[in-house]
Parts: sequence; structure tokens; C-alpha cells
Amino acid sequence: MELEQTLVKYFGYTTFRPGQKEVIEAILEEKDVIALLPTGMGKSLCYQLSGYILQKPVLIVSPLLSLMQDQVEELKRFGEKRVVALNSFLTVSEKRYVLHFLEQYRFIFTSPEMLLQQQVQDKLSQMQLGLIVVDEAHCISQWGFDFRPDYLRIGQWFSQVNRPPVLALSATATNKVINDIRDTLSLHTPFEFLYNVDRPNIHLGRVIFEDRTDKTHWIMQHIKETAGPGILYLSSRKRAEQYSAALIQAGIRAAAYHAGYGAEDRQFIQQQFIDGELDWIVATNAFGMGINKSNIRQVIHETLPANVENYMQEIGRAGRDGQSALAILLYSDGDEELAKFVVTGDLPTAGHVDRYQELLNQHMHPSQMLKNGEVSETAFRVLDYWLQQETVEQVKVRLNHLVLEKYRAVDKMHKITQTKDCIRTQLVGYFGQKLLKKPENCCENCGIHYDEINKVRLKEEKKIEMMPWKSRLKQLLMGC
Amino acid sequence: MFHQILLQIFQKLNNERTISAAYHILRGKRSGQTIQDIGLFQLHKYFGLLPKLPRKTFDEAVTSFLQYSWLTMQQSGHYSMKKLGLQRAAQTPDFLFDGWHYRGNEHVFFARFSLIVQSLSYQSAGVRSFSPISRDTNIQSWVRTFLIEHNYQDGHLQQRLLEECEQVLSVLPLSDANKQLVLYRLSGQSLPGWTWQQLAGERQETVLDCQLAFIELLHTLLNEVHETNDYPLLGKIAEGLRVKALVTDSAQQTAHLYEQGYSIEQIVQIRKLKQSTIEDHLVELAMNEPNFSIGPFVSYEEAEKVWQASKHYQTKKLKTLHEVVEGMSYFQLRLVLAKGEV
Repeated sequence: MELEQTLVKYFGYTTFRPGQKEVIEAILEEKDVIALLPTGMGKSLCYQLSGYILQKPVLIVSPLLSLMQDQVEELKRFGEKRVVALNSFLTVSEKRYVLHFLEQYRFIFTSPEMLLQQQVQDKLSQMQLGLIVVDEAHCISQWGFDFRPDYLRIGQWFSQVNRPPVLALSATATNKVINDIRDTLSLHTPFEFLYNVDRPNIHLGRVIFEDRTDKTHWIMQHIKETAGPGILYLSSRKRAEQYSAALIQAGIRAAAYHAGYGAEDRQFIQQQFIDGELDWIVATNAFGMGINKSNIRQVIHETLPANVENYMQEIGRAGRDGQSALAILLYSDGDEELAKFVVTGDLPTAGHVDRYQELLNQHMHPSQMLKNGEVSETAFRVLDYWLQQETVEQVKVRLNHLVLEKYRAVDKMHKITQTKDCIRTQLVGYFGQKLLKKPENCCENCGIHYDEINKVRLKEEKKIEMMPWKSRLKQLLMGC
Repeated sequence: MFHQILLQIFQKLNNERTISAAYHILRGKRSGQTIQDIGLFQLHKYFGLLPKLPRKTFDEAVTSFLQYSWLTMQQSGHYSMKKLGLQRAAQTPDFLFDGWHYRGNEHVFFARFSLIVQSLSYQSAGVRSFSPISRDTNIQSWVRTFLIEHNYQDGHLQQRLLEECEQVLSVLPLSDANKQLVLYRLSGQSLPGWTWQQLAGERQETVLDCQLAFIELLHTLLNEVHETNDYPLLGKIAEGLRVKALVTDSAQQTAHLYEQGYSIEQIVQIRKLKQSTIEDHLVELAMNEPNFSIGPFVSYEEAEKVWQASKHYQTKKLKTLHEVVEGMSYFQLRLVLAKGEV
């Protein structure tokens, strides 16, 4: 059967998106593949479709539990029942059941930490897998950013002789990262598909302010005058809540979004935004994963994000429909200091290393410090990993190095906020690519006519009113 | 609402406990002391209403009570209600919570219910795929079974569920605004729910108060469904959520040994627990098991004396009773108070 026919049969689509077909063909030729595809461009379809053709189980290693759950749900939505998430959420008996029948599943999602367990490895080695997928593969190299030391530990598992082809997926990666992926996963002359990072329909604005109050004023004014839908990114939960309150006060249909809200609330906000009941999401970087809204017109960064990768991913949520969209990066003096403070806030420190040793000397379990709330979970994971591998002094040096790496990433982002050259050329260059053609209204430095991109905000957006309970009940159940 | 609830608890605790006792009750702490307080001061409805209540929120409320001169606090953490506080407490409405019987299970009910409503909403609209509002696989498989057992594919389940919901909500003695609140925590096709933040803004109250109004409605609804046979669908959704065994698991184990004729000392040996813990268990049983007799530990005359003293001095403080009723241990006093007046 032609690939296109298989696509229609299982997913109902008639055409492939850029890259998908090339990647799938390479997999079917049993080649290792590194595929860089932006989120929302059908990364997961590459292994999903391959799974149906290969007729052997596909193992997907995914570092984020929430993302894993999304992908499982997505497959189930397409009617796939033979899909399972083998992760730490399973109870002992569930896990035993899943492991026992593992070869019967078509798609097996698992986390790096699970893959480290002997019984899981034993089971997998008895099975004939069709493909191993490493999702968010940049975590292998960028572990400094995403804290996935477990990805380093599974590297060895990939060097076994008779393994099936490996597909490494990521949305963002520089050349350096691609090299790390290749080495760590022992990929054999992989086929590489790198999408073009440039998104010509996203115009790159930048505004520099003397101080923060000017910036606040500008944001309020801008959002009052121009049309959404849009996302305003902030560096902290508190600021997200403050801005959202101020915008709602000003009559804007906005809502705050961050990881501090419950899962239902977060889903409600996403749904409201997708259904057009909200015009602005005022969010921390927790917002965006798995959001499929094609008509986002603006993405504003109140301050610089942690690194250029994050920036590209966040602005990439605009204009998925191909229509013009605007990304505006705001900067005021000292923002890079704030960013540095934020990015290192979650790292373990030399003090934590000493405390870890102290607990060990007292014959207590170091995880005690996690229970006491002395250290964040991610920080503890990093600490725990390295202190089992290296001496105290080595770990301290390493942590220092980590901080510097993070600072360096912020500095690179800072450079983008300061550059007098074409911003687009800089961003694309960061990913080792060359900009072939500058679009109209390219960027702040090449010149943007904002009024050609932004639409004026129409005042008569109606606020959604609450219905009486009886009507709401009827509408929910009967649709009227 | 949170403040009103706290005032009521402080009033019922009768200045005989520290302020933390109220915190433990709201969080549903499973300790002998808290369980005993519930019985002694008749605080069943408040038990475990807010299992995740941050201490900070609680302390802030207490601080404002102090500022309003509703109560005073001693170094030891003991408090006493002032006249103004008592007046305020008297003005609070009678809430219809039933924490003791649901203990957070109302949220399981709502998770099942909202996934059912969401599924039916999408089915009505003819849309086959959607993101389930509950990610919990237990909830998902429970709902799947429920839908299949009730032949959702016929397309009549919506109407039946609608009728039951309309009926039960009409019967509940709660405001329309609170019924509306619960309906807006549900979502359906093109009908997203509202966040707590949004609801709080609309109702002009705190998020915590919204959540409490939500819990109160669910408790009331669950009790209504439980008491009558008029709601076959809702009854099924509420299945297994009302707590039957009112004592803790550990107390249950102690009870088992006690019934087999082991003495307290022997139970201490067998279970490798402290004597005081075993005593806590027996007090818990005295409070919750109508058939548990305190006869082997306290005579009828002794119990009588304790009750007279408690009435005479208007107190349930063990220390006071220990002084005035001679020759009785704290354990005996606790048993008598827990068993209640004969």
C-alpha cells in the first residue's frame, strides 16, 4: 500500500506535512533518523504511521509524563486501543500486568527512568521491537536545561547490537546538540531531516524601554488597541496573575495560565482560548505544550526567556495558519539579570551538596532534604545522579559549570535583544542555518510597519455571561 | 464562607483546644486526638473538608480574627472566643457539609460525573474524539464501563441523566447561584468550564469560598441521592463513595484483636505499638461503634460521676475532670466522654 493510503486509513489525512514522508521512508529502510520538526507539525505521526506499517511494537521514550499522557490520549482518540504508558503512575499490579502482556501493545510509551529498571530491560530484550523513538531528544544534550540525567544513563542501552532503528525527535536543536544526540544514542550514520527554523509569516518586533513601568504601560496600551488572539509570556506566576488581573480590569478577555493551577482549570483555559472565548493568555512558559490553535496573531515576551530555543518554540505558536503574525520581544535595562536569576533558581548549589553529604554521614537518606522542602525535585534528581558518580569536589565544579552554561544561554538571548542587525538572520543562524530570503516587515531592525500586521482591536467583543443552571445543564447534555 | 466555618468550629470547640485543632479537623487528620474531638464536640460535618489547606491560609484567617477582636490567643496556642466572635458565630448560616461521610470522595464523584457529562455532550454533538477532562485512568475506565452498561449508544442516556439532575438540583435547599457554580465546573463540546479564578471573580468572593460552596453542594447532593431511590444513575455514579467504616484501619485491627479477647497489654505486644496508641484506638471505637462496650474499663457509677462533673463545670477538659473526679485515669475519662451520655 502507498504511504498516502495508509495515512488516510489510520488518520484520515490525505497529505503529509513537510518532512513526515521522508522520515517515515527512512525508518522503513531501517535507518536511524534524527528529525527536527517543530511542535504542531505532526512529529508524532512519523512513528505512529510507521508503527502500523512495521507491525511490530514501537517503543517511545518520553521524558515528560504529562506529554506522554497527551500522546497516549491522542492515539486513543484515533481509535488505537493497543497503546500503553509504562510509567511510575502504574500501581505494582498494573505494572506487572502491562509487563506481562507488553508485546501485545502496538505503542509502548515509557520514561527514561523506567527504561533503567532491570525487569523492564529484560522484558524488552526478549521482544522484537520495530522501532525505538526518543522524544524530546534535545534533553540528552541539553540536560543542563531540562534536567534529564536519566537520559544519559540509558545511552548505554542503545549501544546494544541487535537493536531496531532509532528515531530521535526534537523541536529545537542546534548543531552541537545534534552531535550529542548522535553520540549518546550511538546512531549509525543517521538520516537527518532538519526543518527550516525560519517562519517567514512571523514578524519579529522588539521594543526597548528605559524602565519597567514604561514597559507595563506599553503592554496595557498595546493589548487594548490591537487584536488578539495572543499570548503574553512572563517570567513568573505572580507577574502572570498581576497582568491578567490588570487586563481583565481593562475589559480584555484574558486569563492567567501557569503550572500552579489545577489540571481542570488549565484545560478550561485552553478550551476557552481555542473556542475564542478568550483573546489573551497571560502565561509562564508552562503554556504551549500541546496547544493547537492555528490563528494566534501575537506572541509578546515581557522579558527575555531562558534561551533562544525556548524563544523560538514560544513564538512558533503564532501564525500556524500561515497568515501574518507578530512576535514582540520587550526589553528593559537589567532584564538579563532577572532572567539569570530565574534560570538558576532551580539548580542545586554547593550548599545542597554539603547537606547531602551531611545526611549521608548521619546515616540518613539524602531524600530527606527533598521531603523537608530544602531542594526542588529536579534539583535533587541532578544532585543525586552526580553524587553517585563523582566526588563532592567534582560535583561542585560541575554545578558551577552548569550555572555558567545557563548564564551563557541567557547572554545569547540577551544579544538578540541588543542586536542592530537583522534579528531573523541572527535567530536562524543560532540554529546553524542560513536565511535564504527576508520577508516583508522582516524584523525591528529591517523595519516593520506594525499597522500592516496588527489589526485594530474591535471593542464589541462580548464578555461571556453565565447562564442559569437549568439552561447550562440542558446545553451540556442535550446541546441546546 | 471559610471564615464562617472557622468561627463555627472555634465556637464548638468551646475554648478547650488550641487553634491547631481546628486546622487538623479541616484537613481531616487521622489522629486519635482529632477523631476524638470530632465526636466530643460534634464536628462531623467539617471533617476533612480541605485536605490540602495550607497552614498559611489558616493562620491568616486566625490573624484577622484576632484583629477583629473575635477571639484572643494564649502563648500555648489555646484561644478564647470573645463576645463579638460569639455574636458573629451566631449569625452564620447552618452549613450542610458532611465531611465525615465523604472525606474528599465528593471529588471522585465529580470526576466521574464530569467525564460522563463531557462524553455525552460530545456524543450529542456527533464529535467522536476529545480530550478527557479527567486524566485519571481509574476514572476513565470506571466511566467507560458506566457508559457501556447504560447503553449510551442508544442516545437516550442524556435525557435520563438530565431528568435526574434537574430533579435532584431542584430539591436541594441551596441557592441557584451555587447550583450554577457546580454546572460551570463541568465542560462539554464548545462549552468549556470556568476556572476557580473566573468563578471567584464573577461571584466576588475568594477561590477558597467558591470551592467550599462547591463541596457543600456535592455533599448535599450525595446525601439526597443516598437517602432515596429516586436517582438510579446518580446513585450508580456515587457508588462506594460514602464512607461506611468510620474508624481508621489501624483501629479496626485493634478492634479485631480486642474482640478475640486479647487484653490491651497483649495487643501492645502483638501489634508492636505504644499503649497510648492502642488506647486511642479503643476511644475511637467507643465513639464510632454503637456496639462497643466500655463496661470492661469503667463502671456505670464512674461514668455517671464523670458526666455530672462535666455538666457541673461546663467542660470537657480532661485535666479539670481528672482533678474533680477522683481515682480515674485519663484513658477512662476519654472512654466515658467518647461513648457519650448513657
